[in-house]
Amino acid sequence: MLYILAFIVYAIIGTAIAIYARKGIRTQEDYYIGGRRVSGAISALTYAATTYSAFMMVGLVGLSYASGVGAFGFELFYLVGTLLLLSYYAPRIWKLGKDGGYITPGDMISERYGAMVPKIMAIIVSIALIPYISVQLIGVALIIEKNSGISFMNGIFLAAILIAFWAFLGGLRGVAWTDAVQGIFMLVLAVSAVIWVNTFGFSGISFTQEVPKLGELLTVPNRIWTPLRFISLTVPWFFFALTNPQVFQRLYIPESEHAVKRMVILFGTFGLIYTILVTFLGLELRVMTELGSFPLIKDRDAVTPTLLGMMPPSLGVLLSLSIFAAAITTANSIVLTLASMISRDLFGSERIFTGKMLIVLLTIAITIFALQRPGYIVELSVLSSTLLLCQLPLILGVFHWKVGGKITASLTLISGFSTALALFYMKSNPLGIPASVWVFAVSFFVFFIVGYSEKRYVRS
Amino acid sequence: MKLLEGLVVILAMIVPFVLIKSHDMLTYVYWCCVASIYLIYIALSRW
Repeated sequence: MLYILAFIVYAIIGTAIAIYARKGIRTQEDYYIGGRRVSGAISALTYAATTYSAFMMVGLVGLSYASGVGAFGFELFYLVGTLLLLSYYAPRIWKLGKDGGYITPGDMISERYGAMVPKIMAIIVSIALIPYISVQLIGVALIIEKNSGISFMNGIFLAAILIAFWAFLGGLRGVAWTDAVQGIFMLVLAVSAVIWVNTFGFSGISFTQEVPKLGELLTVPNRIWTPLRFISLTVPWFFFALTNPQVFQRLYIPESEHAVKRMVILFGTFGLIYTILVTFLGLELRVMTELGSFPLIKDRDAVTPTLLGMMPPSLGVLLSLSIFAAAITTANSIVLTLASMISRDLFGSERIFTGKMLIVLLTIAITIFALQRPGYIVELSVLSSTLLLCQLPLILGVFHWKVGGKITASLTLISGFSTALALFYMKSNPLGIPASVWVFAVSFFVFFIVGYSEKRYVRS
Repeated sequence: MKLLEGLVVILAMIVPFVLIKSHDMLTYVYWCCVASIYLIYIALSRW
């Protein structure tokens, strides 16, 4: 009952924000990128809420619990990589977007490589990201079912309705403003969870005195975080800021260059604090297990649901709602971006109506995937960042290299994407090299080899 | 792209893999410091 009440309040607040945000939407630029009039603070919060999904409070807490500090290093590698890339590329991409009137990531690619390439990109990102969102929904629906009595199916439907409705109504502005509120909510609840666990699990005991009990979980490499595993996970995530279209498109939205800089710095601050909180929570719970005050959990994804069950109902409900919010903020941002890419890049539509219809259709597709829960969905979602790596040479090529036209770009995308899928289905790492590194290498190899050939062909 | 900057950041992040072997929160604190210092550097020096 408490959960349903909290959920109703949450849904009403979000819907009110989305309705207010829809004012003044006339063009695709208004609908998909907020008319390039979003402040630095809101841009940072929507960037953070889009990036940090339910994976953080469920997956990363569990990963820290099961594998120790290596999980923290993996997530921070992503963060410093993103800061490195954003501090250099974000102002340049923002300026290119403003000067060229770009709305989708494909617009930038189209100008350099031709109109066919964004069509291939739109298909690739859809294949990569639809399972990813479906898994988010499955995760939160399971948590809701365990903690509120709302059935799995109803949980999926509630999430799907909010994803489509808020994006449909307010476009990017609706998504960004609801993201901002939910981002703050996620952060506040992460702080509350750490404080509660510290009070509950470590009253009269010092965490720092007890932490050595974790042994090899406090160092890297260890049995779980081998150098190979670390590399295979960090390579695709390191380039997330450039290869994931839902965050790339957010580089177009700030109102000024100053706002771009503010966005990067505030996002970095949010990301660092949130990562510290979430991983620290996982380590605290693991120490509590060693002390006998928290059960030993073998399935790492069950760590947070177990914690929710131990918390006071009010805090448990709010934390569970913050996980739901994290999934919604990521999912509706992806749905809106995919709608813009399919609408503009694939179908060539200049109408907002097409995008709105695509939001509905994409949400239905995601819901069906989530309800069916085929086994390969989870594996495909894990693969999403690796699948998207094939775009990296094209994006870097816009700024650094003159080689490469439409043939180069198309073959790079197809070869990198095929490599990722082939290695995934064969479940193999040739020569002991992780699949993500193979995709990275194959994509760049094809880009340069075909690029130089195409250049010579064009000259002759 | 500031390749040197990227290299320094990556090298700083992999230090725990070779140099820190103590069973306490040193690795965790070290990574916190590296990320914080880099964020401050970007905020103050880059722009």
